[in-house]
Amino acid sequence: MSEQFQRGTWGRMRLHVLPTKRFKTFAVSLFAGVPLTEERLTSVALTPFVLRRGTKSYPETIQFRERLDELYGAGFGFDLYKRGDHQIVQFRLDIINDRFVSVTESLLGEALSFLGEVLTAPALENGKFRNKYAEAEKTTVSKRIDAMINDKIRYAAERCVEEMCKDEPYRLPALGRKEQLADLNAESLHAAYRQWLQEASFDLYVSGDTTLDEVQDFVARSFALPEGSPSTYSPPQLRAARSEVQTIVEKLDVGQGKLNMGLRVGSTYGSDQYAALLVYNGLLGGFPHSKLFVNVREKASLAYYASSRLDGHKGIMTLQSGVEIVNYERAVKIIREQLDAMKAGDFAIEDLKRTQAMIVNQLRELQDSAFERIGFDFSNVLSGVERTGDSFIAEIQAVTPEMVTAVAQSVELDTIYFLRDRKGEA
Amino acid sequence: MAETSYPKLQETIWHEKLDNGLEVFVLPKPGFTKTYATFTTRYGSVDNHFIPPGGQPIKVPDGIAHFLEHKMFEEPEGDIFSTFASQGASANAYTSFDRTVYLFTATHEVAANLDTLLHFVQNPYFTDENVEKEKGIIVQEIDMYKDNPDWRVYFGLIEAMYSKHPVHIDIAGTAESVRSITKEMLYDCYHTFYHPTNMTLFVVGGVDPKETLEQVKRDQAGKTFPPGGEIKRLFEPEPDEVTTEKKELQLPVSLPKCLFGFKEEQTEGGDAVRRELASKLMLEALLGSSSALYQQLYDDNLISDGFGHEYNTGPGYSFSMIGGETRDPDELVSRVSDALYAAARDGIAPEIFERTRRKRIGSFLRMMNSPESIASEFTRYRHLGGDLFTLVEVYESLTLEEVNARLKEHANPDRRAISIVRSGNA
Repeated sequence: MSEQFQRGTWGRMRLHVLPTKRFKTFAVSLFAGVPLTEERLTSVALTPFVLRRGTKSYPETIQFRERLDELYGAGFGFDLYKRGDHQIVQFRLDIINDRFVSVTESLLGEALSFLGEVLTAPALENGKFRNKYAEAEKTTVSKRIDAMINDKIRYAAERCVEEMCKDEPYRLPALGRKEQLADLNAESLHAAYRQWLQEASFDLYVSGDTTLDEVQDFVARSFALPEGSPSTYSPPQLRAARSEVQTIVEKLDVGQGKLNMGLRVGSTYGSDQYAALLVYNGLLGGFPHSKLFVNVREKASLAYYASSRLDGHKGIMTLQSGVEIVNYERAVKIIREQLDAMKAGDFAIEDLKRTQAMIVNQLRELQDSAFERIGFDFSNVLSGVERTGDSFIAEIQAVTPEMVTAVAQSVELDTIYFLRDRKGEA
Repeated sequence: MAETSYPKLQETIWHEKLDNGLEVFVLPKPGFTKTYATFTTRYGSVDNHFIPPGGQPIKVPDGIAHFLEHKMFEEPEGDIFSTFASQGASANAYTSFDRTVYLFTATHEVAANLDTLLHFVQNPYFTDENVEKEKGIIVQEIDMYKDNPDWRVYFGLIEAMYSKHPVHIDIAGTAESVRSITKEMLYDCYHTFYHPTNMTLFVVGGVDPKETLEQVKRDQAGKTFPPGGEIKRLFEPEPDEVTTEKKELQLPVSLPKCLFGFKEEQTEGGDAVRRELASKLMLEALLGSSSALYQQLYDDNLISDGFGHEYNTGPGYSFSMIGGETRDPDELVSRVSDALYAAARDGIAPEIFERTRRKRIGSFLRMMNSPESIASEFTRYRHLGGDLFTLVEVYESLTLEEVNARLKEHANPDRRAISIVRSGNA
């Protein structure tokens, strides 16, 4: 793993450049994060939707998209999500390396110039966002919020976390709230956007056949960010589980029940116990040899999927399974038995070794994907730690059964959420 | 052992057809940490009626190819996932209309994992008991898909188009068909379709191609197989017309989901790859996110970001699929259809054709960063009689006249079918 990030800053933005010749493309990610708050949640969510409609040089959406086509179908997109108690907007650009096509201009330079305009020089009218774009994108976001209900597995997962974290910022949906959309217009949204540019933490990542110097040069020409220096992310607030587990049953027209559980874990990505926690999660429900898969699916034939997911940035873990509605209690019982077994240190050493080998494999694999390497590095930025792929692999390999049992003591069930059909009693 | 270089793509692939009929391909990716291997049989959900070499016609229950895929992971010594996990590899499999693919990714012990892959796929172990146990799991998998509106609207369209061709049968089958499966049936299918002559091994990543090929040769030389022969797949003639013009069903969704498309007459021979690429380019030029039509439909709040198109082709079927969520399915279908019919009459503008060609080439090159996509697409194109690594040349040689002719042939009002999923109260 000889390729290393080169680091720099440009105004309020941290720059991270990974020079490599292994890929056929340049991968660019821009992260902009702010603390999750009820007040600005929806304006932050709506902002990237409006920014992707047009820029100063390409004010019409069709021109904007034609420009991406001309850049050999550059992949452009954005995501909105929560990391810890932050709301992150991530822009992504994937553009082919000049050496595969006959062009005169630097495609990376063109791409960064495009991204710089998207972020800092949007299409405006009378000093505010275009009315048409603001209104259309309010509709789009509103439809996205409504659409949460379409995928029942995801809906159940979101609802479980929302119920578990109902007294914390983390309850807030990354896409914002429908009722707040109505209050936003081209002018107020533009003001909120200016504020966001002043306050968000910005990290720009570039991977490909380039250097920090070259990127710095492109960025200086293309990003008109407000003056200042980069801001850092604050660590998440850890919470203990409810003293008594809460059970939420919701009814919808579903054929299969979606069972989700939310748990509190005692540490986060930045802590020394994180490696042991990740191994714990793997043993419990990360893989086909894990306790949940083996006991809920293979032994009891109750489900097709049964797994656990660790959110190290927030310090929570979620379990999910799809079961026949009549089997709800059986499934809960089997899952709770697995949690108890983990606390008692009742797991096979071979399974621990398998889990470590699988996690190490995942960490090695991510070296082969530019965007995954970027994501891994950004987790460091978020958590204020300095893990490399190699150092983290060493941490995973050093995890002992005792360490897993120790972190198991800090894992507490908080919420059981069950999405079921409309028949029968709740 | 043959070596083919593609200087434009800067790739070299190694190939050999072994004595037992197995085709082996190795694509070294210098500098990559990961190795990805797929072992594919040309056997999917459509192969439900066939004559094994030298045998009698057999008709098997729906969903059996997928069931077989599940059961392959079980060996007398236990679950093969555990073996892979001990070797730090992540294994998986999937079944499509015309293929079943077994795969692993690993960064260590690649040779051992490759042996495990060859071993478990060539070593069926079915018992009455393990077949019975799997039924509960698969029924939950089927129920999971039943709750998924995207899957339902997708399959609804295929059902609206095809009545005889088994492409209209759900890949996983039904609870009833799955319950009728026995271990004897599984062995019949296995012996017919898992013969080396019907299979392809593809390895991509940080491997030495010669060593890998030698390893596979040694492994295969140590196993004996009955002589292979021609498998006759029996298909009832499929009418040219669609089964039903419009198929609707009810599920809770935020907005109606609507897909429609055109069913093509099956022509024997011809260049299937060229036809596929021309069709994809044609759809992208007219309906892609940078097309005028897309922007109009978006402005009129008829489509969302999820609006898209695909072109599917396989043994005995080819059709387009267009749509997404919409407030008004009828209006969406008529506006898009009218635009397609008009373009079929007037032709696509040359500059749009060129821009779209560029975009398609760019997205192809971006796809080449992903070993997973390369492995999957390589085998698919090979089954179509083409070569993934020459797609750029095919794109470059496509002419506007050809694409316009394709459009005239494809957009046939008499061959259109529509599938809609909407809420009961909508």
